[in-house]
Amino acid sequence: MGRLGVEPEHRIAVVLREGPPALPQHAPFGSHDPRIVMTLVKGSVLDETKTRSEPKSRPPRRSEPRYERRDRMAAAPFFLAALLVVGIVLLIPFVYTIIRSFIGSGDQGFVGFANYVTMFEDPNLQLSLFNTVFWAIGSLIIPVVLGLGIAVMTSSMKLGGIARAAVILPYALAGTVVAIIGNIIFTSAGSLNQALEFIGLLAPGAPVQWLLHWPLNVISALLIASWQSTGVNVVLYMVGLQTIPRETVEAAAIDGADGWVRFKDVIFPQLRPTTIVVIGLTITNALRAFDVIWVLTQGGPNRTSETLALSMYRESFLLLDPAVGSAIAVVLTIIVVVCSWIYLRRQIGNEA
Amino acid sequence: MKARLRPGVLFRNTLVVLLTLLWIVPTYLVVVNAMTPVKSYTGSPVWWPTGFAFFSNVVQGWQAGSFDQVFWNSVLYAVVGSGLAVALSSAAAFGLTIMPVRRPRLWFWLIYAGTLLPLQVFAVPLYQASAALGLYDTKTIMLIVYTALCIPFAFFITRNYLVTIPSEIGQAAKLDGASWWQMYLRVFLPLMRPALLAAFVFQFIYIWNELFFGISLTISAENQPVMAALASLQTQSSALSQPAILATAVAVSAPAIIVFLVFQRFFVTGLTSNL
Repeated sequence: MGRLGVEPEHRIAVVLREGPPALPQHAPFGSHDPRIVMTLVKGSVLDETKTRSEPKSRPPRRSEPRYERRDRMAAAPFFLAALLVVGIVLLIPFVYTIIRSFIGSGDQGFVGFANYVTMFEDPNLQLSLFNTVFWAIGSLIIPVVLGLGIAVMTSSMKLGGIARAAVILPYALAGTVVAIIGNIIFTSAGSLNQALEFIGLLAPGAPVQWLLHWPLNVISALLIASWQSTGVNVVLYMVGLQTIPRETVEAAAIDGADGWVRFKDVIFPQLRPTTIVVIGLTITNALRAFDVIWVLTQGGPNRTSETLALSMYRESFLLLDPAVGSAIAVVLTIIVVVCSWIYLRRQIGNEA
Repeated sequence: MKARLRPGVLFRNTLVVLLTLLWIVPTYLVVVNAMTPVKSYTGSPVWWPTGFAFFSNVVQGWQAGSFDQVFWNSVLYAVVGSGLAVALSSAAAFGLTIMPVRRPRLWFWLIYAGTLLPLQVFAVPLYQASAALGLYDTKTIMLIVYTALCIPFAFFITRNYLVTIPSEIGQAAKLDGASWWQMYLRVFLPLMRPALLAAFVFQFIYIWNELFFGISLTISAENQPVMAALASLQTQSSALSQPAILATAVAVSAPAIIVFLVFQRFFVTGLTSNL
């Protein structure tokens, strides 16, 4: 694995240092795991991207020879195909789901917010909502804090690359595979209980039923999901660390600041833009987690480890209630978009 | 300095070693248990190798899950789905960044916005539409859905790459009398090669690892993607023993892991070199 994007004098550092912090507006924080590395790489050029696409910058845009009217129409065939596919398969279904969430099952027609009322009155779905929030908060604690810690601690270590490789490798695994691994670890006769018995923390014959009781089943899923997702944050923070001018850290060292103080007062404040991107990406991905939970517990037992992403699947496809399923999908979408918005707004506020 | 920081450095190094071990343990357990012979497997995972039966374990899982079929389904979905997405996205990116367009931001957001939404918000209508059109549980619907899911982000990558290309290149081609299509095919597509490859590889891994639409829109082994089949091995069949499931999981992860390892250097150097 070697150094994942950790060439100190790389030009990315220069770009980031000169411009305002990487703009997460365009970062695909809602995207699925395998895509995230792109964000850190492309997220950093977005200042330029943004200014160039600003409508007001259109007149001086590229100072090209003046285009004729015919040319202005010529672009349509180039982007219409992509727009049509996305429109038909994603945007229209999105609008349809919103409308569907206000229509009852069978031939009930328009029912207002009845599906939402049903949803919020269902104890299963209340717990699911709670678990979803729990996932969002838990993924801030484990993948973000550990990602930051591992990146900072290994960045100046000689063999740090080995540690990073170990943490980053699970990133290419499917959520399904991660859940299968989680199963051999957390099942009652699994590796974790074996290890706990071995070191004497657990009496033999009295295994902890990690997957069979709430909240341990939620925590188990969160832990194994974090095992996979921390690596992405390590990579993001490694790129963020490159943006810190070396002189600031050296100056602090000369002033006698020890490792912890250097981190707390010099390094971490300068990682703020990265931290905001990492938090946004991690939360939105945690909110959308489906594969790991589905394969590990199917949301059970008794729906206790469900999050909204699973509840929507269960209501729509297993309980055949697309009305409530659509309401859940809309609530989940609102939560994801609001989380993104809060974090975008903070970022914009910081820049002003 | 070093002498003064020694306790701190020692603490840090210990912590890093412990975390590394913690991260390696699950991988190690998978490898050891995936090669444990089914006969000697007691129902609890082992910590030390007790034999080497990896390949016969894979064969067991492979047959139980019809992986002969689903493996190639996923190859088709991942290659064609991401290929189509990259082709359409690069054209869209060219049209919206190089060519003069009204309201470029509107078109950008319409194409890009889909990636911000959770998959669940598309699922019911896509299921109903595919059932109504007779496309439920077909390769056609999977290819359409995967292509559409990959377009927003492939578009994002190619577009961000294109805005870094100096505008003089387009102007020069224009002055030489090239048509827009010639300019796209002959000048910009070759220039975009790193972004096209990166987008393709990312979407390949994404489709390969995708589960949600695999279980929502397909049901038969004839059309299921590989992760849907693997998930049902784990969640449904109790007849298959854990080493066989693990060995199969390792085998079907191989394509994505190989692609990731081969291209991970490329991701970073290829993309950041254009900043």
